[in-house]
Amino acid sequence: MPVEVIMPKVDMDMAKGKIVTWYASEGDFVTKGAPLFDIETDKAAMEIEAPDSGILHHPAPEGTDVPIGKPVAWLYAEGEAVGAPPASYGAEPAAASPAPAPVSEPEPARAEAVAPAPRGDVALSDKQRATPRARALAREAGLDLDGIPGTGPRGRVQAEDVQALLDRAPAFAAPVAFSAETGPLSVTRTKGGTGTPVVLIHGFASDATSWAPLEAQLKHRPIIRIELPGHGKSPKLRIANFAALVKDVRRAFDDLNLEQVHLVGHSLGGALALAIADTRERSIASLTLIAPAGLGPEVNGDALSGICRANRPESLGPWLRRLVADETIITDSYVRLAMAGRADPNLRAAQSALAEVLFPDGVQAFDLRAALERIAVPTRILWGKQDDIIPWHHALRAPGRAALHLFGGVGHMPQIECADEVGQLIKAYI
Amino acid sequence: MADTLVETNAPYAIRTYSPEQLKDALRKMFLIRKFEEGAEDSYMRGLIHGTMHLSIGQEASAVGSCMSLTDADKITSTHRGHGHCVAKNADLGKMFAEFFGKETGYCKGRGGSMHIADPSKGNLGANGIVGGGLPIAVGAALSAKRLGTGAVTICFFGDGANNEGAFHESLNMAAVWKLPVVFVCENNKYGMSTSTARSTAVKNIAERAAAYSMPGVTVDGNDFSAVTEAVDAAVARARAGEGPSLVENLTYRWRGHSKSDRNRYRTKEEISEWMERDPIVAMSNLLVAHKILSEAEVAGLEEQATQVIKDAIEFAAASPDPRIEDATRDVYTEGAAA
Amino acid sequence: MNAMTKTELRELSYAEAIREAMDIALASDERVVLMGEDIGVYGGAFQVTGDLVEKYGTDRVMDTPISELGGAGVAVGAALTGLKPIFEFQFSDFAALAMEQIVNQAAKVRYMLGGSVSVPLVMRFPAGSGTGAAAQHSQSIEAWLGHVPGLKVLQPSTPEDAKGMLLAALEDPDPVMIFEHKILYKMKGHVPEGYYTTPIGKAAIRRPGKDLTIVATSMMVHKAMAAAETLAAEGIDAEVIDLRTVRPMDRETVLASVRKTGRLVCVYEGVKTLGVGAEVSAMVAESDAFDFLDAPIVRLGGAECPIPYNPELEKAVVPQVPDILDAARNLAKGRI
Repeated sequence: MPVEVIMPKVDMDMAKGKIVTWYASEGDFVTKGAPLFDIETDKAAMEIEAPDSGILHHPAPEGTDVPIGKPVAWLYAEGEAVGAPPASYGAEPAAASPAPAPVSEPEPARAEAVAPAPRGDVALSDKQRATPRARALAREAGLDLDGIPGTGPRGRVQAEDVQALLDRAPAFAAPVAFSAETGPLSVTRTKGGTGTPVVLIHGFASDATSWAPLEAQLKHRPIIRIELPGHGKSPKLRIANFAALVKDVRRAFDDLNLEQVHLVGHSLGGALALAIADTRERSIASLTLIAPAGLGPEVNGDALSGICRANRPESLGPWLRRLVADETIITDSYVRLAMAGRADPNLRAAQSALAEVLFPDGVQAFDLRAALERIAVPTRILWGKQDDIIPWHHALRAPGRAALHLFGGVGHMPQIECADEVGQLIKAYI
Repeated sequence: MADTLVETNAPYAIRTYSPEQLKDALRKMFLIRKFEEGAEDSYMRGLIHGTMHLSIGQEASAVGSCMSLTDADKITSTHRGHGHCVAKNADLGKMFAEFFGKETGYCKGRGGSMHIADPSKGNLGANGIVGGGLPIAVGAALSAKRLGTGAVTICFFGDGANNEGAFHESLNMAAVWKLPVVFVCENNKYGMSTSTARSTAVKNIAERAAAYSMPGVTVDGNDFSAVTEAVDAAVARARAGEGPSLVENLTYRWRGHSKSDRNRYRTKEEISEWMERDPIVAMSNLLVAHKILSEAEVAGLEEQATQVIKDAIEFAAASPDPRIEDATRDVYTEGAAA
Repeated sequence: MNAMTKTELRELSYAEAIREAMDIALASDERVVLMGEDIGVYGGAFQVTGDLVEKYGTDRVMDTPISELGGAGVAVGAALTGLKPIFEFQFSDFAALAMEQIVNQAAKVRYMLGGSVSVPLVMRFPAGSGTGAAAQHSQSIEAWLGHVPGLKVLQPSTPEDAKGMLLAALEDPDPVMIFEHKILYKMKGHVPEGYYTTPIGKAAIRRPGKDLTIVATSMMVHKAMAAAETLAAEGIDAEVIDLRTVRPMDRETVLASVRKTGRLVCVYEGVKTLGVGAEVSAMVAESDAFDFLDAPIVRLGGAECPIPYNPELEKAVVPQVPDILDAARNLAKGRI
């Protein structure tokens, strides 16, 4: 018999609780006592631990209100037949105990990630606020407002937010529209383009919008952007280690169900791209690693934690300027915009937690040199010689098969600092 | 003026007006009667969309009051104004067309029963607001005086209006400025359902003239000659620059206030008593008695009026409706935008 | 500005400018008559007609009895029959006594009669608060009349416009209602000599700017201008539009400005709810200029109460310069 995971009563007059975040997904093995999910009541938010060890099935979708004592998931033993998911959570006692029956395709129960939002704003939280002018600008530029952080009241996107994005990508002549896809991680893809798609994985503390300058160069191809857990619009999952992160990102990659892709990753995203290429080599037409992590122990831990800690433009700006060689390209409005994208304290907390796991004590806790040795796909490494986050000489550890392109006067963000050249190089590949 | 056959004891109208004028007056009274009956009939046939206020029984007041007016003289009228229009020489076809809401109507279908006007004949229009025409009449008289046109304005109003502030303000100003205006109160005893006895502190509305230092007389409004005599005197006084007068024509509307009236405030006896005093019968008898018309000629006039109304209704029915896209035309002069 | 042009710029008060317009009209058109309470030897409650009675006599500058309804109606009737009356209400508040004639008669006669007549009538309404005259002598009721098709409703804010708009109103064949703010009567400004008209239905851009649009009426134009100067020193470049005509409203000028600035503040003294600013806002929201809005529209209008007597309260219930500053700053800085 599966073990019921119930909505616990955590305070006196609590009648129900809301599932905010799951730390494990359908089919994951969870260990008794490990944090399993967060709940929110009228009074408090609380982390709930797994009541037993087992394989998680049928977790209640995030955002669901469940009465106390009612099951929110079931933990099955290895090999145990999995019952059907309940019709609803907590409403009918009959539905609370699914009859064990073989199920061929367990569906991920999580329909969409709902970030914890102040009460009263819940209904609006999934709707992007934007002024008419911002909407019109975005419409004209072919931009999806969803990708644009707003600096206005209550996160409203205003014209200058859209403009800043356009300014930041001067080559962004015929910009690209993204549409949200459902899935455990936030994945967006262009509507146009033909041929082998390009999959982009951003770096730590960044998000999919950082690819904007490159997108214009690549727009003849379908472009797919994966956002890391705890970044952009992806759910803020608890990540145990680099392998767990790879697992999440790879699942998102697998869900794309593509035969062949050109895979591009930046920094931490480069390490992830490499890890995916290592295990999904047949799907990878080419691999482009921009200032990738995973090739050496050094990393600028101060900058990473500084960025995670910053909760206002004044404290974020200096760290952002460390990312680039020419500080003048990090304008005040760029910083404001970046801060707006990081306004959610839960997002910053999630990233801090991730940094703790991946870069403890300012050291890269994962090593992908072996993977780089193993893979046979065409690979090129791009690096700025003024990179102050990860030293470019890590690139020298790559095998001779991999091409190496070094840019003088460029820091950790070649895809922004010299987007044209980066775009040309990638294009030459694909 | 009548000539050799003057009967010195004859009523004022007979002494004062030619047979042709008197015959024409009776013709107009018949036209009013037939217009109202035609309107009522059209309403009952579902041809007319709004309500109406019929003046059947008040024809002597309308026609008699306007006897000495020319087209240069003005009138302002009331919601019960069809008779005033006819008395002021309106075209019956255009009146009916307006009644039917047609583009060929006096107001191109925009005004309806309560706003029929013919500025070219000096008729400044009926009015849907009780007392609404009173200050306007004073204004018209002010224009006449300032511009020296010599025109006189007759201001028709009902007994109900005499309790409106506009009545008092208007009479006062007309008197203060000695304006050429004659206030003709058609007292048909009821403001909708409320009798003058219940609504008005003075017995005769004409008594209120004293408050504004102007002559006030009360006459039998169903007696054509009596009406003519009183109003003519007031018009002459106005034309002579001696200022306004108030004439009260006591009359009666045979029909209810409007089509919604269930006649709960007056008795059948009262109505039939007034119907016995039909102003048209009285006028016919007067003209026959003074050998101005024969009985057959009277009948001929009535028949003629019936035919005019029939033609007018046909004209109206066959006329085009206004175009919907023109609904906002004529709010401002020459389509000035709003 | 050199000395020569300075001498050319003759200054008059707002009241003098109106009087000059009436003087020109009386002198040039026999049909023009002035009507109103105490506008003769008294010179008008605010000395707008002044000594015109001495020049034109009591037949042309007519004291009416205290009969707003009757007097307004006489003016309507006179306008219908060949005169061009300029009817002065002693206070705009007293228009309530005459609404029947203004709304049911003057505004509608032309339409009701199928266009066969017109009512070339001008009515003048001393309006607004700031005189300590309390609730029945301080209102701004332009929106009441602005709601009536058939009327034109003006709110000149400068002496030059006060004269030009009155002369334009006299040229207009339809009834024109002019709201004159009492506080403005003594305000001086350049007024051209002789005959000229200021177009009805055309707003004036009093100060061009790029960051936000302030649409103001009457007295509020001056407050908006004062605020705009302060804002300019702070780097906020406000465009101030003097609406001048409430009906018909100048759509194009307002929409073009909002398309440019993306931000709109409406400032008007009448009660905020269902007032002039509501119409301006709706006009923008319903138009293509909507797509240019980069912040919510802000309305600053009179409080939801009668005008109180106490001077501090009186100030508090109508928009003041600091209110405009707050709104503009919040708007410009994306705080609203």
